[in-house]
This record gives sequence, C-alpha cells and structure tokens, in this order.
Amino acid sequence: MTTSPRQWTSIEELAGDAAFAERIAAEFPVAATFPPTARRDFLKIMAASFALAGLTGCEKSPFVAGIPYVDQPEAALPGVPRYYATAVTLNGYAQPVLATTYDGRPTKLDGLPGHPATLGRSDVFMQAAVLQLYDPDRAQSPTRAGAPVTWTDVGAMFSAQRQDWQKDGGKRLRLLLSQTTSPTLARQIKEFQSQFPAAQLHVHDASGERERIANAIAAYGEPLDLHYQLDACSVVVSFDDDFLGPGPRQLLHAIEWAQARRRTDVPGIHLYCADSIPGATGAVASHRLRAAPSRMSHLIEALAARLGVAGASAADLSEQERHWLARAGAAIDGAKGGALVTAGLGTGSQTARWAARINDAIGASGQTLKLTPPVANPGIDVASLGELVTDMDNGQVDTLVILDANPVYTAPGSLDFVNALSKVKTSIHIGLYRDETGHRCNWQLPLTHDLESWSDARAVDGTATIIQPVITSFYDVRSRHQILAMMFGRDEEADALVKETWRNAFGDSFDAQWKKALRDGFVAGSTAQAQAKPASGWTEPAPSDVDGLDIVFRLDPTVWDGRYANLGWLQELPKPLTTLTWGNVIAVPPAWARDFAVENGDLLEVDIDGRKVLGPAWIMPGQADNTIGLWLGHGRENAGRVGNGVGYNAYAVRPAATPWTTKGSVRKLDSREALAITQMHHRMEGFDFVREVSAASPSLPAPSPQPSLYPPYPSAKNAWGMVIDIDSCIGCNACVAACTAENNVAVVGKAQVEMGREMHWLRIARYYTGDVENPRSYFQPVPCMQCEDAPCEMGCPVHATVHSPEGINQMVYNRCIGTRTCSSYCPYKVRRFNYLDYRNTPEAPVEPVHNPDVTVRSRGVMEKCTYCTQRIQAAHVAADKDNRDLHDGDVVTACQAACPTRAIVFGDINDPNSEVSKLRRSGRHYVLLDELGTRPRTTYLAKWNDGPDSEDDRT
Amino acid sequence: MTASATDILPTDQSIGDVSRQLTGIPLHFPARRQWWIAMAVAVALLMLFIVSVIELFTRGVGIWGLNVPVTWAFAIHNYVWWLGIGHAGTLISALLLLTGSEWRNSLNRFAETMTLFAVVCAGIYPVLHLGRPWYLYWMFPYPATMGVWPQFRSPLEWDIWAVLTYLSVSVLFWYTGLIPDLANARDRATRRGWQVFLGILALGWRGSTIHWHRWSRTYRIMAAIAVPLVVSVHSEISLLFAASQLPGWHSTLFPPYFVLGAAFSGFAVVSVIAVALRAMFGLENLVTRKHFDVLGKVLLATGLMTGYGYVFEVVDVLYGGNPHDLQTLLDRTTGAYAWLYWGAVVFNFVPLQLLWWRAVRRTGWALLLVSVSVIIGMWLERYMILVTTLYRDFLVSSWSHYTPTFWDWSTYFGTIGLFLVPFLLAIRFIPVISIFETEKTLLDEREAHDG
Repeated sequence: MTTSPRQWTSIEELAGDAAFAERIAAEFPVAATFPPTARRDFLKIMAASFALAGLTGCEKSPFVAGIPYVDQPEAALPGVPRYYATAVTLNGYAQPVLATTYDGRPTKLDGLPGHPATLGRSDVFMQAAVLQLYDPDRAQSPTRAGAPVTWTDVGAMFSAQRQDWQKDGGKRLRLLLSQTTSPTLARQIKEFQSQFPAAQLHVHDASGERERIANAIAAYGEPLDLHYQLDACSVVVSFDDDFLGPGPRQLLHAIEWAQARRRTDVPGIHLYCADSIPGATGAVASHRLRAAPSRMSHLIEALAARLGVAGASAADLSEQERHWLARAGAAIDGAKGGALVTAGLGTGSQTARWAARINDAIGASGQTLKLTPPVANPGIDVASLGELVTDMDNGQVDTLVILDANPVYTAPGSLDFVNALSKVKTSIHIGLYRDETGHRCNWQLPLTHDLESWSDARAVDGTATIIQPVITSFYDVRSRHQILAMMFGRDEEADALVKETWRNAFGDSFDAQWKKALRDGFVAGSTAQAQAKPASGWTEPAPSDVDGLDIVFRLDPTVWDGRYANLGWLQELPKPLTTLTWGNVIAVPPAWARDFAVENGDLLEVDIDGRKVLGPAWIMPGQADNTIGLWLGHGRENAGRVGNGVGYNAYAVRPAATPWTTKGSVRKLDSREALAITQMHHRMEGFDFVREVSAASPSLPAPSPQPSLYPPYPSAKNAWGMVIDIDSCIGCNACVAACTAENNVAVVGKAQVEMGREMHWLRIARYYTGDVENPRSYFQPVPCMQCEDAPCEMGCPVHATVHSPEGINQMVYNRCIGTRTCSSYCPYKVRRFNYLDYRNTPEAPVEPVHNPDVTVRSRGVMEKCTYCTQRIQAAHVAADKDNRDLHDGDVVTACQAACPTRAIVFGDINDPNSEVSKLRRSGRHYVLLDELGTRPRTTYLAKWNDGPDSEDDRT
Repeated sequence: MTASATDILPTDQSIGDVSRQLTGIPLHFPARRQWWIAMAVAVALLMLFIVSVIELFTRGVGIWGLNVPVTWAFAIHNYVWWLGIGHAGTLISALLLLTGSEWRNSLNRFAETMTLFAVVCAGIYPVLHLGRPWYLYWMFPYPATMGVWPQFRSPLEWDIWAVLTYLSVSVLFWYTGLIPDLANARDRATRRGWQVFLGILALGWRGSTIHWHRWSRTYRIMAAIAVPLVVSVHSEISLLFAASQLPGWHSTLFPPYFVLGAAFSGFAVVSVIAVALRAMFGLENLVTRKHFDVLGKVLLATGLMTGYGYVFEVVDVLYGGNPHDLQTLLDRTTGAYAWLYWGAVVFNFVPLQLLWWRAVRRTGWALLLVSVSVIIGMWLERYMILVTTLYRDFLVSSWSHYTPTFWDWSTYFGTIGLFLVPFLLAIRFIPVISIFETEKTLLDEREAHDG
C-alpha cells in the first residue's frame, strides 16, 4: 500500500502507511528491525495503543485511561458525581437537563427539576443524548472533500469567500438552517443579515415545525405557537393530533395530562381522539375513532356544526363517526370551558381553521389554549427549502452554508436536493456528523455536542436555558456560534458569544444573573407571553377527495427524523405499540392486510407520484381503513456504524407540497423481511394482566390471601416497593431509556433482538382487547416484581440470586454461573441473560458513558432490574452521614425519575405514610399473577375505563 | 436334546464354545470392517462435538438458539433424553438380577455399557449448558473462603448429586459384573500386553468359591442400590421442571411420568443395540428371538405406562381447570410446536402397537424399527416438554419462539459420537456379553433338562 488511507479499518492497513512506519521506527526503533512475522505480532499486541494514536485529528480522546490528579482539586472527589444544569436540544427546542458527571464525564441526563417544562421528567431523546456525545462516528475534525484540514484552513476559506460575498452583499450566498430557538444564534443571524443583506436564509425542518406554523397562519392569520393547557382541560378532542406522542412537546403534554387525569378521584380529563395511525393519544383516549386523514376536515366541520359554529355544515358521516361526534360534542358541552379541540399538523389548514373557530366558540382561548408568538426562529424571515432548491437548480447559488441540517437525507424526495447541491460551487456543511450532506459538501465542519457547547435555547414554553458545557470537547470541534463568527472573520471563545447575548438582557446585574441562570438551568421569567386572540382566518371550501390510499408520514418514535439513527440505545428501544426495534415498517390496516393476504414482514412497495420505496408490512390493529403509515428516520447511508442501512428511507417518496398526508398506491412483493420485535403476541388471551375499574365500580375485589410454606422474611427497617399506575402510562418508553442509561444495559443489535435476546430490564408490555379493527390498547411496564417468595431464588444452585433484608431480590453477578434456572422459573420473565459478550458490541462501542456505580455484566451472567440498588445505597450513605432515617422520596429509581406522567412510584412500604404505601391501599391496587403466591413488591393500579363501554347509556 | 418352550438359550451348545465365542470377540475380532465403518462415523461425530464445544466455550451459549423466555432447550432436553436412555441398562441388569430373570444375562453387559456412556453424554450437558462453565465447581460444597455453599433448595443442586451418584454406582456395578469375565479373558489371552491389561482389571480373580460368594453378595447389594437410584434420579430430573410454577411443568405427575418415559426410551435403545450386535457378531445362539420377544413385551408395557402419563397430563389439566394450564395444553396441541406434541404421540405410540403381535416382536428388524421410532418419539417428547412450556408461559407479553441453530444440532449429534466412540471401543476390547452369566443360564437350562 503506497498511499495513505484516510479512513482505515485495521491496524494492518494503517501500518501500510509510510509515515506511520516512520513513526513506529522513531517511537519503537526495535520494531523496525523485526522480521515481518514478529512485527505483525508486535502490531497486534500494540493494537489498542495504536488505535488511539491513529485517531487523527482528535485533541483528546474519551477512550483513554484515567490518571489520578497530582494536585486534587478541592471539590472533585473521585467516584462522587457532580451535577450541572444545562440543556440538549430537539428540533431546536431546549430540553433542560441535569447532567450527572463522574470525574468530568457525563453519564446520565435527567429532566431539570424545577424547570416549568420538564419538572425533572424526561423523554427518550433526552435520555439518549449523552450517548451521542460519545459517539465515535461523530465528525472529529474539519474536512475538505473528506481530507482532514485545520480550523486555520477553514478560516482562510471563509475569508476568501467573504470577499466574494461582500462584493454583491451575499446575493449568491445562502444559509440553510435547521429550526433554532437560540437567542445567540438569532443575534448572530441578524449580524449575518446586516453584513450580507442580499443573502437569503432558509429553514429546513423535516419534523413538522414549519407545517405547524403554516397551520397557525392559516387559522389565525399570523405565525403563532399553540400551547395546550392540558392541566386546565377536562375534555380534549383531537383530530389526528398525537400530542402525547414523541416530540419536543411530549414531556409537557404528558405531565399536564397526568396532572389533569389525577385531579379528582375519578379521571379528571377525557380524551376523544380521531386518528388514522394509532399513537399514544389514541391508545389512552377514552373514545377513539379511527378515521383516515382525509376524513378529518369533514369530521371537525361536523363537530363545529354540532357546536353551532357559524358557517359549518355536517357532511355525510358514517354511523361510527356520528356516534363519536355526538359523544364528543356532548362532552364539550359538559366541560363548560374546560374543553380543547386540537388538530394534527398533517391534517391540513382546513382542519386547523375549524379547530381555531371551535376553540374560539367554546371559550378555549386563554383558558385551555394559550397563543404566543413562535418560540422558534425568532425574527428570522425565512424562505423554504423548496425555494432554495429552485434557486440552486437555476444556478443562482454559489455558496451554500448548511448549519446543523441534513437536507440530503431529510429533504422530500420530490425536491431532488442532491442534484441541486451538485450545482453549487462551494457547499459547507456544519454538523455533528459527516452525514449524507456532509459527504456531498465540499467542506464539513464538525459541531460540538450540546453537552460540550456554550449556547442557549428555549424550551417549548419559551423558557430560555443557557447551555453550558459539562465536558471539554475531546474532538477538534467548534460550536455553531464560533463557526458563524468565523464567517464574519472573528475567532471567538465559545462562551463570549453567549455572554454577549445575555449581557444585554441581564443588564447591570449580569454576573449575578448569569451565575443564577447557569445554576438554575433556566432564565426565570423568560416564558413566552400569551398574546391576544387574533381574528380567525377565512374558511375556504374543503378540498375534494382524491382516490387512492391515504399515505401518512410519521416521525420515528425512537430515532426521530433520523438524527438519532446512530444511537444504539434508541435503535434498540422498542417502539410504542409495534415493539419494533432496528428499523421501520409500513403500517397497514387489518382489513387491507386480509384483502391482500399480507402478513407482518411481507415486503410492500409504496408508490407516490412514481417514486417508490420498499419496506416490510406491519398490520397495525386499529389503523384506519384506506390508510398506509410510513415512518421517517431510517434507511440512512452515512449515519455511522450503528444507523447505516437500518430500515427504509421514507423521505425518498415524500412530497414537498403535502409532507404529512398524501395519496399513493401500495403493492405486495414476493419476499419477506425479518422484523426485530420484542413482543410477539398482543392479545391478553382472556387473562387479567391489565385490570380495569370504572366510575360505576371504582374498586377491584380484595384479593384472597395466598398461603405459603415458607415463613415470611424478616424485614429490615425499609422495605422497598413500587406501584405502577397503568392508567397513567402512555407507553412513551422514557423509563426504559432511563433504565438503559442508568444501569449500563447492553445494546445487542438487530440479529440478537430477532432471536429474543434484548436486554432491557424493563419492558412496556402492550396488550389489545376487542376487535382487531378497533381495539382498546393497554400499556403495562413490567420491571422485576421483586417477589417476596421468589421462584428464582429457589432455583439458583449457587446462591447467585438472594433476598435482601429490604426485600429486594438481588442478583449477584460474580456468583452467577449461568444455569438460567432463575429465568426459567420466573413467572414474569423479567430476567435477561448475557448469552454472548454484549459488553462491547459494534452497536454500542462506547464505554465512557457507563455508570461507574453499576457493574458491567460479562458473558454468561444473568441480570435484571435491581430497583436501582446503587441509588438505594447512595441514599443510605447520605442518610447515615446525617444520622437520620430515610425519608420518602430519598430514593428515586431511574424509571420513576424519568416517567413524565408519574406512573411509577417507588418507596418504603414499611412506612404507612409513604406515597407508595398510600397507593397500595388504593381500590385500584392489584398484584400481577396474584394466584401464584409470589407476593411481588412491584404492583399495579388498575386502568380507568372511561370509554363508551363503561357508560350507563351503553347502546 | 431340543430346546423347551421355557428355555431362552438353545441348549445344544457347549459351555466351552460360548466362552471361546465371547472371549474371541475382543481377541480375534470378527467384524473388523463393519466396526471400522461404525468407528469412522463415530469419530467424525466426536470431532463435530469437539469443534462445537470449542466454539461454545469461546463464544458462549449464545451460539445456541436460546433466548428469554426459552432459556433452557437443547442442552437440558438432551440431558434428560440421554439420562433416560441410560436408565434401561440399570433396570435390565439390576432389577432383573434381583428378580431372578435369567434371560437378562445375554443383554446386561452391553446394556450396562450403554448406560455408562449414555450417562457420560448426559453428564456433560449440564456443564455445556452453563453460561460460565469454568465455575462449575461452585455447585459443590467445597470449603470456599467466602463461606458460600451451594443452595440446597435448588433442584439443580439435587441434580448434580443425583447424576454423580448414579454415574459412580453405574460404573461400580458395571465393573463388578465384569470382573469374572475379565479373568476369563485374561486366561485366554495369548499376548503379554493383553494378559497384563486384563490381569490388572481382573483384580486377581481366581474363581474360588469364596471369590464367587463375595462377588455374588457385592453384586446383589450394588443392584439393590442401583434400582431405587434409577427411580430417584429420574424423579429428581423431573423436579427440574416440576419445582417451578410454570404451566405444563408444575405437576405431581412428573416424577413417575419421567421415570417410565426413561425406561421406555432406554429399552428401545437396548433393543436397537441387541439387534445390531446380534447381526454384527453372529450371536444368534446367545441373543435369541426369545430375547427379542421379551424386550418387545417390556417395550410395550413401559410404552403403555408412558401413554398413561400422556393421558393423565391432559386429564389433570382439564380437571384442574387452571386457565394457564389450559392455555399451555392448547399451545402444545395446536400451537407453533404442535408438530412436536403430535410427533411425540405418533412416534412413541403408533408403531408400538405392532408389538402386540408375537411375530413382530420376534423379528429383529421390526423390533429395530419400532425401537428407533420410540427413541425419536421420546426425543421429541423431551423437546416438547421444555419448549412448549417456556415459549409461552404466564405473561403474554413475553411469549416468544425458539429455533435451534446449527450449533444446537451439531452439539447434539456430537454427543452421539461421544456415546458411540467409547461404546464401540468397549465392544471391541471387552466381552460384549457376560460370559459367565450366559454360561450359568445355559448350565441351569441343561440341568433342568437333564435333571
């Protein structure tokens, strides 16, 4: 090998490099004299060291051994975590977090307590963000046409470019941004516009934020954010609006929904949801109507007519539709101002207009609906991606700067962005990864991860957070603010730019306020202010229905628009309702599947305006007839070693004009694809794993005591127990993601999941009852039951699973010999076995993210939920230091902390006043598989049935 | 002199002929060609086993098709199957010795040999099964510095003791029975090496009356220990399953059901070996059609008893009415693995019915085919019991599937090599039929005629 390979896959390959050989000769003179075979051995032995040395361009690697301090900093205690308030971003919105760091190494993110938009709760994206920080596939240094360059080279490029831009005011310069809420970025963009007044800005966001604003403009005549005040609602009617589903608003909605749900002894909020592809909202709705997206505008107009909104007329409705609308209308009447009507972003401007008019009519505005100026892209007058592509095609763009967006992958297929990009002279991609766009641009400039950045952002409610780094960058990367400053010819410190922004806002008391904002994690009082209700827009006639199947695009619940595709934690997280991991499916309604003899996994070809995509079928119970669901975010080419080639790419068939709902055709192909799902069977088969209560019978029958041959264990002072409220679970998976992060749960990869070997300690069981066309859905999180009479403990021949005095069924990893008897005997099948060495799979090559308080399990060892025993121990230590007893709330498990709806409650059942004890006395309390006499410590609260079959006026 | 109806051996052969014939097998091996072919196959299988075990120990039990919930499959299933096969040797030798059924004397030696190597195959499986086999010794109550003992409530712990006890008793019983013949062979050996080898193994046996007296007492005591062991060991094996709470396993029916099933499969293997050895070594004079007849009857009897277990398993569930048990019954009979259940029923019990006919029982190849069917049927049954319970236990959300991988199969077929290689060596180097016991039977029969 004569040329030096830039990307090498093995030490041998790298060693072929002459420069490297020279370096070896200099470093290890003796190695140069080895005969070839001995040199090979030498290289093999030294592989690890060379692997680290070979990472060109990194200033610091996270993968080096720790060395103790010579002079110990006063506050830094090895092994004792420190916490920093900062934020990660999703769709540009801040997700305020409290970052746990060990020796300067962030390992876990949780929602920031006290922040009005998280209240300390989290979602899956927030949990997984820390893994992205350590992703070895991130761009590690600036590159030009793939070759590493220095930031000095980048500066020189910018200064040369700047001379061109300044000539004509930047007429042939374009800046393509992803959505942002950063005040500092907004300030810099203003500067950009003043320096290059002719340059055009474009915002591209594949996840619907643009359409959300477009709907608001259609409904209210101006761009607005609609903030649902779910905690003030008693009835919500949703038209294909999955507001409890994944996304930047999920957390806030779920928190408020759960608060409203628990407002009284009986459910305080009822959801009426008309949806096409079942989502979280439809799953927990008391009254769900399955309806194709093209029906939504008719349905909402009929509701408007029912509520007496001027100009509305009831269209032809089916029996079910009429029935559902009658109930929804009656509920709105009964709610007396506590009602809200919402329209999904894919339902079109017509539905959005009707929703606005109904909300006006029922007095929702100001009560259950708050309108504010948009939190995102403040003051940035932007054009769309479509206009950019037209200009690029026409050769009007010489320089394109893409900031933190991946349009090559996420642009709708109808735009053909790749072709347009090839006509641009100089393309500069600024992003976390050298992704699809980075590969096709002349320059790729790597960004810092949020956790290593100085920046700022606003949460969905408008509250600003100053993003502070919790770790020094270990790659040769810069923050977006620094790179923008470079465009203006300045080399700035990352924090100086952010401080400059806030110096204006904080005024004289800058130092004090800045410190307070960093410590608190948000700027108090920065929440977006409501504005007066503007006039509702004009109503145009409903569009006529076009023949063909409704094709609905949805964002992936775990990898989102594709930006998280390289995160093993999220790829392996079972998606709500389908339990699919590692990929996406084409959801088809059961009746359609029956007609065309389609089974799960059969390959389907979707054709939209001649663009085609192939994907495996998934028969989705409860999906609306004549509707096909596609999920965006998969089928990536340059995501990294984890995300490449997983699933199909639905962007390829996405039309730019109607990006969420369109028409198309589907045909079945003669081949199949294996689906890595974690739950094979979805009916309860007549068992009562999930129990229900209703207003008519709000209590379950008392269980009969189960006799036992074994004497009860003597209990220590604390006896740990957990109660999970099934009524509050929306299946969002935040608990599973949090458990993965907290407990170093391994990622095993698609093939292993297909074999049934996923390692999650906590699974969200999902059941359906009723007709497959229109079922009721249930979510039931199942962690270890921590049985008092545990069958597993009896089975282990070597005492590897034993009972603790506090009632925890402990797993002693280093005693385990792997007979798997415990798992065989476990009636709940909550144990997980390391069939192979899962510690360092290609799917999860990162070790620094591991929680140092939790053992990493080796091959041949059983593992399971421990009730976060490390947290219990830490709480004990803290209480012992103060010489006090543990208080309720001292121990919070990772799943409990994450749960946005507070469905998981953990505590001491010996303390009659603890929250968990109170819940155990509830009429809804029950034990899973009570009849087995295992006496679990993890128990459940029954689901409220507030649906049509629970009502007295049953028809 | 003609054989009477009660004779099992033709009485027209001299005792010296029998001695010469049987000791001649190792000393002047008659079926070299067949033996080498069989050995080649066996060694190939053993190689497969070794490769599989290396792969297994290198990568872990994940090379098999196991998952959660099916954490136990081929390893445990074949363990039970092999152990069940082994039990027939003990039953034939020991139980029939105690009951004075002299016909056993032509069969007991190779049946015991079979037991020995079947138990070895069975015994190696729990080791292979472990996630971390290098810590096997933690199952033993050795004085660990941490003071940790095994957990005596665990059926797996009982299992270790049961199998090791059974293996040692089987070895001792087999060896004890072998001593007089080893002396006989020593006396006839012409080459020095054979003389020394057999001489050491014969423990200085001279055939004196006091030797015979002590030997006879020892042998019967060993037999009296071995017979209850068969029952207890296989009952214990069944507790691996019955001690859990899982539907389809948690049943008091399991111990007798397993013991009878074990005897059933074991007698099937004995029949196969009897037919094969008889043809291979021309032992028509010693392993007679009457032996086949008796074996066929025993097979039929144990088979019907096993069938009774099948019936009562269903009756139990229907009578008990536990919804989880009913679900498991439904899964077994109609689920994804229904072919296992019905395969077990068909292979175990349908060809078996041919044995009602005396002519079938007395025909070697017919008995062989029925026996092979039973061996397959019992293998399917063990598979069915494990997998159909585990793949769908209580919570529907953990219902899954199980598919054996190449390594599952290779390890299993490998153990057949592990069984055959030492078995073939044994029939090559030691008297395959108990010489003195056969001679005794012959003598008794003659005396009965003459007397």
